[in-house]
Amino acid sequence: MPGKPSFNKPMIFVNHLTFEYPGLRALDDVSFHIKQGSITALVGPNGAGKTTLLRCMAALEQPVSGSIQIAGIDVLEHPRESHRNIGYLSDFFGLYQRLTVRQCLHFVARAQGIADTDCEAAIDEVSRRLHINDRLQMRPGELSRGLRQRVAIAQAIIHKPRLLLLDEPASGLDPEARHELAELFLDLQRSGMTLLVSSHILAELEAYSTDMLVLRQGRIVEQVGIKGTTQHKPFKMLLAHPVENLSGVLLQLPAITVIKIEHNTLALLQIPNDAQQQHAVLKSLLTLDLPICEFAPDASHLQDAYLQTIKQPS
Amino acid sequence: MNLNPEFQRQLYLEYSPARLMGVPSVLGIIFSFSYFLDGYQWGVSTAQTALTLFMLITLLWGARQCMDSIIEEYRENTWDTQRLSALGAWEMCWGKLFGSTVMVWYGGLLCLVVYSLAIDHLSSLPLLLSYCVCIALLGQSGSLLLGLLAVQRGQSKSSSIFVLAVLIFLSCWPWLTNIANLADPISQPISQHTTTWYDISIDQQIFMQISLVLALFWCSIGNYRLMTQELGIRTTPWAWLGFNLFLIIYLGGLIPNSSFSFSLATFMTCAILTYAGLLVERHDAMRIKRLLTYFKQGLWQRGCEEMPIWWLSFVLTLPAALVLNFSEHAAFRGFSDLMHFYPLAMVLILLRDCATYLYFSYSNNPQRAMSMTLLVGVLFYGIIPGMFNLMGQSGLAALFFPLWADSSLTALIFALIQTGFIVYLLYQRWRSTT
Repeated sequence: MPGKPSFNKPMIFVNHLTFEYPGLRALDDVSFHIKQGSITALVGPNGAGKTTLLRCMAALEQPVSGSIQIAGIDVLEHPRESHRNIGYLSDFFGLYQRLTVRQCLHFVARAQGIADTDCEAAIDEVSRRLHINDRLQMRPGELSRGLRQRVAIAQAIIHKPRLLLLDEPASGLDPEARHELAELFLDLQRSGMTLLVSSHILAELEAYSTDMLVLRQGRIVEQVGIKGTTQHKPFKMLLAHPVENLSGVLLQLPAITVIKIEHNTLALLQIPNDAQQQHAVLKSLLTLDLPICEFAPDASHLQDAYLQTIKQPS
Repeated sequence: MNLNPEFQRQLYLEYSPARLMGVPSVLGIIFSFSYFLDGYQWGVSTAQTALTLFMLITLLWGARQCMDSIIEEYRENTWDTQRLSALGAWEMCWGKLFGSTVMVWYGGLLCLVVYSLAIDHLSSLPLLLSYCVCIALLGQSGSLLLGLLAVQRGQSKSSSIFVLAVLIFLSCWPWLTNIANLADPISQPISQHTTTWYDISIDQQIFMQISLVLALFWCSIGNYRLMTQELGIRTTPWAWLGFNLFLIIYLGGLIPNSSFSFSLATFMTCAILTYAGLLVERHDAMRIKRLLTYFKQGLWQRGCEEMPIWWLSFVLTLPAALVLNFSEHAAFRGFSDLMHFYPLAMVLILLRDCATYLYFSYSNNPQRAMSMTLLVGVLFYGIIPGMFNLMGQSGLAALFFPLWADSSLTALIFALIQTGFIVYLLYQRWRSTT
């Protein structure tokens, strides 16, 4: 496996990347960097350029200008070398229908430069990790959509890449399979892999993403850390009835940061990620005589952050 | 054993005990019939059947297998997996070429064994076998080349390309059936057939064999180059330049030697290769934009990597056209009383045709570029000048087909007007597209 994650060291450097289709600029001077060991959610509306960006990063498309560095290798200059560090799952991935799962994995392992003698161990490891070790003799056509997705991910990670690019990995999966996928991504992250996941399902991204990269009309609108700070946690506070100047009232408490207030009844707050301190904050809020009817960790933080970003004028 | 992974994958697909038994069984039944026809012995009918079956198996089935080995990947969305692998272009090429045809060669070799047992003139057998193997490899390699070109153009259906391969096969069939005679020293005495190449007399069979091997070599280079492009490996178009120079030298030797033969070979070869280069490549308006961006940034190497291959052939026609233009040889005065040989005007007409094709390629429906260019060609080369000629307006006819002009200068001016107009239209379309 790629080794222990070092969260501060950048894995991806993208500089002034421009990609054009005839009559359409799909990526417009895109620049960003992504830390090693992070799981970054790549979000944006349809046609924002997410797939094009991932394909450029996987050296499958040639941009007009700009540069991409992954693990210190210039992807556009040395695409074959960079492929050793990259695993890529396409939105429309295909599997060899006439081969068994074992043969598919064996081919990809060999094609990625794993010696024949080491292939069995690699297949064994990856199939156990993805819980497909009992399906190795089956053909992809005999598997469910979720299991096919797992086989495709197994193919993408069998050579233990340092970066995994996933384009809509959860599309078409049932909730249980999505949950398992989230667990898998966290497991991969723990083993030191960096993940960049493009998806429309923000609630699912929230379960595992550490960062969010918002793309709109081919431009990076925002890059934010979602779970970058472990010292604070977003909380949602709902009031039974509106309280005038809620923002001003909340500002009296130094331990909290107000992220958003809606109609003076709903507030999104950033509070310390510590049970004792959370208890103290709630106590202080009740002391202020606020008609609190709900106070809980915010489950839709990513979605809100995304919608806020996307609503901003370009 | 560390086999080529692509070869091994193809083995997984192709090899099965049923096939291993089925192929000799079917061939056995066919050869049993020919055995009866030969009067319960292996004779001429068996030999002919074996050779015909070898050609059919290796060229038709083999061509289909090679083409599908690449097009199927594209159709089933597995091509990206291969493009993301660490396999090199050569590994990928030979893995597909020999892996996809493993059962084809199994059947083909059985046919050759039967043929060897059925013929009398065993002395010519090695020559014939080398012909057969080279032709089969050339057919299969050419088919892989067509498959790669189809994938570059985004075509996922192999049937239309396979029809093209069958047409090529049928057109070569008379020559293929003649192979047995060529290799027969009794019916074709060696001394009577020689080829003159640059004043050197070479035995025709040896010349053909060398030519066949060279064709196979260039076909393999073509496959390698296309595969490198598909795998995103960046290289300058040295292979196309080498192919141009090779054909100039090779074909130049076949033209009766004189002071102009080399220029003529260069001019004709490069003109044809300009059209060929234009047709085989995918034309993307963004590619020219990338190329210009690289040149603007002083990235000359990157710019050369993006350069369309037809540019190279076209540039090579220019010096040859200049030499021919100032040549006083009688052969250049005219094709007939009406049509003249004006090399410089012809170069401009070549550019006009290429610009016309690109103009349609940059449209919203680039699939129609070929048919639309042919339509324009019919109008410019035939209908419009023919109509004016019938009306007695030969000057106007020459405006559309400059080779009908009375002087080279007039032809040059008319060709310039046409080319300038088409290039202007092309530039406008390119600007609006990018």
